[in-house]
Amino acid sequence: MTQEFIIIVALAGLVTLALKSAFIEGQHYFTLPKWFVDALEFVPPAILCALIIPGIFKGKVGLIAAFGAVTIDPKPIAAAVAALAFFMTKKTIPTLTAGMASLYLVYWLQI
Amino acid sequence: MLPLLPGIIPFGLIAGFTPVSFGYTWLDSWMGSLLMFAGASQLAAYQLMNEDASIWVILLTVAAINLRYVLYSASIAPHLADANRTTRLLAGYGLTDQIYAVCHRDYPIHNWNLNARIAYYAGGTLLLWGLWQACTVVGAFVGQVIPVFWSLEFMIPLTFLALALNTLKTRAHRVAAITGAIVSFAGLNLPYNLGLILGGLSGILAGVLFRRVNQ
Repeated sequence: MTQEFIIIVALAGLVTLALKSAFIEGQHYFTLPKWFVDALEFVPPAILCALIIPGIFKGKVGLIAAFGAVTIDPKPIAAAVAALAFFMTKKTIPTLTAGMASLYLVYWLQI
Repeated sequence: MLPLLPGIIPFGLIAGFTPVSFGYTWLDSWMGSLLMFAGASQLAAYQLMNEDASIWVILLTVAAINLRYVLYSASIAPHLADANRTTRLLAGYGLTDQIYAVCHRDYPIHNWNLNARIAYYAGGTLLLWGLWQACTVVGAFVGQVIPVFWSLEFMIPLTFLALALNTLKTRAHRVAAITGAIVSFAGLNLPYNLGLILGGLSGILAGVLFRRVNQ
């Protein structure tokens, strides 16, 4: 076990449990304000898109660690292909497959 | 519940092998699924750990992704209000998108007593929990034998991409998503992952304002 990892996931687990149990535990004490409920539906698209960006433009990728850097970063292109696959199929597995396949392809074409 | 289960298998496997691809052990990976038991936020935590983000950024992001559970919790709470404290705490730990969906649908139309409601919740949750843990462990072991150049960690942004594109129901959602992405990109080199945080906040704000102006 890696101590730092376990500490982080344990704290993250507590945060998650607090949110999941908020009302199951504390329903007599507070109600949800309307602005909160209104804003909530925009949290997933906003946060997920904000998270994708560093994953695509900054994240370390094993290919480069193993075989060295290439001129054109394959990650943004792979992500674009994955997005295209999603719009065509609306399914997760083809999206992931198309993204990974184009990551390998765009890297391989440059070595 | 059963039709919802196959959908979690790829995510469970991804949650299993990505920490291993970052150099953690299979046990770390399993602990992540055991202690957090919330797929998307697990992946976010792993990606941010790999980017050396501070613990506050990780916890804030996990909280933001899991904020929807407050809404689920509020909706389920009246049906489990009379259960004892341990049951309610376990129900909280086991709360997922899937169990919320089936309970939200089935509790109001059936005249079940408390025990039946608990049994329904527990049955569905145990199935989902067991499958999630099993997929994580299998994924983690698979991750240990797959060489690093397979770049399995890239599955995290791809998974977020699929999840994000799935949320773009209205124009306001698209505005939220695009704003989040643009601000995050503009702030890519800011310290403390501020780009991510500002991107998330401005995306939410943009979605709310867009809806308000266009109503």
